[in-house]
Amino acid sequence: MELTINQARYDVADDNPGRMLIWVIRDELGLIGTKFGCGAGICGSCTVHVDGSPMRSCVTPLQAVAGREIRTVEGLVEPQADGSLRLHPVQQAFIDEQVPQCAWCMSGQMMTAAAFLADNPAPNDDEIVAAMSGNYCRCGCYTRIKTAVARAARLSEEAS
Amino acid sequence: MSPLDDLQQKLVPDTTETANKPDKKRWRLSRRGFLIGLGVTGVGLALGLRYGVPAGRLAIADSFDNAAPPGTVEGEPMTWFDVLPDNRIRLHTPKVEMGQGVHTALAQIAAEELAVRWEAIDVVHASTARGLADGLGTGGSATVSSLFVPLREAAATLREMVRAEAARQFGADVSAVTVDDGAFSANGRSLGYGEVVAARVGEWEVLEPTPALKPLSEFRFVGQSKQRVDFHDKLTGQAIYGYDARLPGMLYGAVARPSTVAGKLVSAAPGRALEQPGVVTVVAEDGFAAVVAESRAQAYAGLDAMELTWDEGRLWQQAELEEMVTVHGDRGVVVQRDGNPDAQLRDGEVIEATYRTPFAAHGQLEPQAALAEVDADSGNVKVWISTQFPDNTRDAVAEALGLSKDAVEVQPTYLGGGFGRKLSTNIAVEAARLARAAGRPVHVGWNRTEEFRNGYLRPPTHHRLRAKLDGDRIVAIEHRQASGEVAFPFSPRAFRVLLGADFGAWRGATVHYGVPNKQTVTELVKLPVATGWWRGLGLLANTFAIESFIDELAHTAGADPLDFRLRHLASDERGQRFREVLLAATAEAGWGETLPAGRALGLACSSDVKTVVAQVAEVSLENGTIHVHRVVTAMDPGLVINPDGATAQAQGAVVMGLSSTLLEDLQVQDGQIVPGNFDRYPLLRMSETPDLDVVLRNSGPEPFGVGEPPIGPVAAAVANAVFTLTGQRLRTLPLSLNARA
Repeated sequence: MELTINQARYDVADDNPGRMLIWVIRDELGLIGTKFGCGAGICGSCTVHVDGSPMRSCVTPLQAVAGREIRTVEGLVEPQADGSLRLHPVQQAFIDEQVPQCAWCMSGQMMTAAAFLADNPAPNDDEIVAAMSGNYCRCGCYTRIKTAVARAARLSEEAS
Repeated sequence: MSPLDDLQQKLVPDTTETANKPDKKRWRLSRRGFLIGLGVTGVGLALGLRYGVPAGRLAIADSFDNAAPPGTVEGEPMTWFDVLPDNRIRLHTPKVEMGQGVHTALAQIAAEELAVRWEAIDVVHASTARGLADGLGTGGSATVSSLFVPLREAAATLREMVRAEAARQFGADVSAVTVDDGAFSANGRSLGYGEVVAARVGEWEVLEPTPALKPLSEFRFVGQSKQRVDFHDKLTGQAIYGYDARLPGMLYGAVARPSTVAGKLVSAAPGRALEQPGVVTVVAEDGFAAVVAESRAQAYAGLDAMELTWDEGRLWQQAELEEMVTVHGDRGVVVQRDGNPDAQLRDGEVIEATYRTPFAAHGQLEPQAALAEVDADSGNVKVWISTQFPDNTRDAVAEALGLSKDAVEVQPTYLGGGFGRKLSTNIAVEAARLARAAGRPVHVGWNRTEEFRNGYLRPPTHHRLRAKLDGDRIVAIEHRQASGEVAFPFSPRAFRVLLGADFGAWRGATVHYGVPNKQTVTELVKLPVATGWWRGLGLLANTFAIESFIDELAHTAGADPLDFRLRHLASDERGQRFREVLLAATAEAGWGETLPAGRALGLACSSDVKTVVAQVAEVSLENGTIHVHRVVTAMDPGLVINPDGATAQAQGAVVMGLSSTLLEDLQVQDGQIVPGNFDRYPLLRMSETPDLDVVLRNSGPEPFGVGEPPIGPVAAAVANAVFTLTGQRLRTLPLSLNARA
């Protein structure tokens, strides 16, 4: 079976198409930026994009993503014309606001935020809270995440 | 020598000898010596240093409670630098980065005495194989406080050794060589650390005595909100945590675990496990059954195919456990006594109240995980693991596999949260046993259900407080608390005998107010459910009880809760620091000012590792549910190394504390821990998170710790606000206006 992740093609075994996407991404392909938290689609640490929409890869069977575009945190950086990599506005904002503590949940937070901002480029605070409240952060970085998502929206607007 | 004597020698500092011969005591050559191996070996100049344990924490109860920053006492070499060819300096620390920002703070501290730009330091986790030793692990909010002096001394010593060598190379007098931004200059020449060291590969002599340290007034980096050093890697998915550790040819292990708290594996046979897809090795030993497979899912599926017989054990119920953790009043260990509280509280108008807190899970989002590799020739083991205690992990693996400690190397990784959960060592032992059985590297990563049901929990507590007032003055107060174990499950028997009481259970339990007659008694209960370390240990539970009760006394006395607390502060230095944070938090929160309709404020304070914290919560009720709008924290942690980092720790502690205050209630039913995942144990979400304001008071000259202290007052501050708003006193966590008040 062929998977498209961060615009690269990967061949993966198709003998057990019901296995969860997270373990294909992490254990089989070595893209460890997508994190395991609960295995039940609750905490949001494993969030990736499938055709631009945020999905919990720990409860997403491999067969559900065949032929679709998958994006992980490793694919958030944006290659520039000169070959360099530029941080996604969400990544830049999370650094600017010094958001994380342990950062285990942050890939999922950023993937959720990036998909949200693609749909809603100029959100208000209530919309940000509604979009981000499905992602746990046990270190308690919520107020900074909220500020950083708003900042990322401004950074995106300035860049465009 | 008896085990007790041995422990006492290890735990209690020999202050007289240290005072007389500080430098001789402090320095010792590392096992590697001081070899310079630039370029080829990449070893660099390694500088070791003894470091201390917080003496007070390990002596008698009183010094526990006023835990001072550490003295520098007997220990093993701790802090190491590599000088790199590009003039950068690598700092290896056995203290792990689990979100506290310590790698950043330690770089700031080291930079002061190295006289380099802060950015020129790389901080990495030290492998145990470097010969370092850290007998404390990372916890107790002690990383910065325990390394503040030793790290600067090591840095200053390295700087002076390199300065002397630079002087030799320059043909200049040592005193003529200046050091600035990592450049050693004299006679019109200038070289960086790496350039000086590269020209003199070989053994270096450790400079004695330790150079004088810079005064705080000359600090350039300490006190600055430097950006975290680890965020670029973490936010681009490059940072390696224990769950992320990988090796070519690795396999995955799953271990059979009881579904009940008292359950035991009676017998195990492979059954049809070896016939299952992907299964490589099946282990069926006494009390240990496991499967190693090509994938995690295949390993767990293999377990299902084994023939396992379980003894469920007694099927414990929540009510039985709560009954066990209930203050009896006729037993326990006295950990604080002033005056004659017994006589004062024997008769007359005694005010009494009881409080209860539940089991709590850590909920760190990275479950514990380890990768182990066994060398085919030597049998030596290497483990990559997200652990708070690399040294204990090495020792546990060595013991379990019958190896010498030198045959086991533990390489800590980043941690996806710790909160006390990753002070355990069993995951490393499991990975090592399975790697040896399989003959290939094996990774074991627990799933969330294992984390909830097979780890350990914050113990439940029960508190009985009694006091007598004379007008608006407390004349006597007693706190009796019962708690499941915290530190004891991890402690050798001799340590338990030495201490008498479990310092984890009664952390935060003593009464810090200036009351003439007061006592604190702790009753320890060994529960049939595994309990242990959890952020702040007993601090949140004990502060909830005491600071709620102080609020009750204030209202009984008809006094403003702020005035009442100020009036009862001890007249010592800590009392003065309490005054400052109480005034700062209430001023910031608008205490005494008119609030929006339907809102109220609550105040609480606590002291931990000498850091004092006051918090004010602003609450309202929405459809009968407590809604917290804002929490103001004022914290005095002594010297503030990184204000933004300290602020983040306070914000995070409030969120975790609020989650305990409002939501978390882990119960046991029919012998099983009820939640197997977050659906039955929700954590606080962004939508429930209030505005978080933090006021830092930088009272120097030394840092005390910021990771745990700000989790102390949260629950009491909210409960006190709810009382002001509703007149209802909630004495059970999590707070609920409808239930078990």
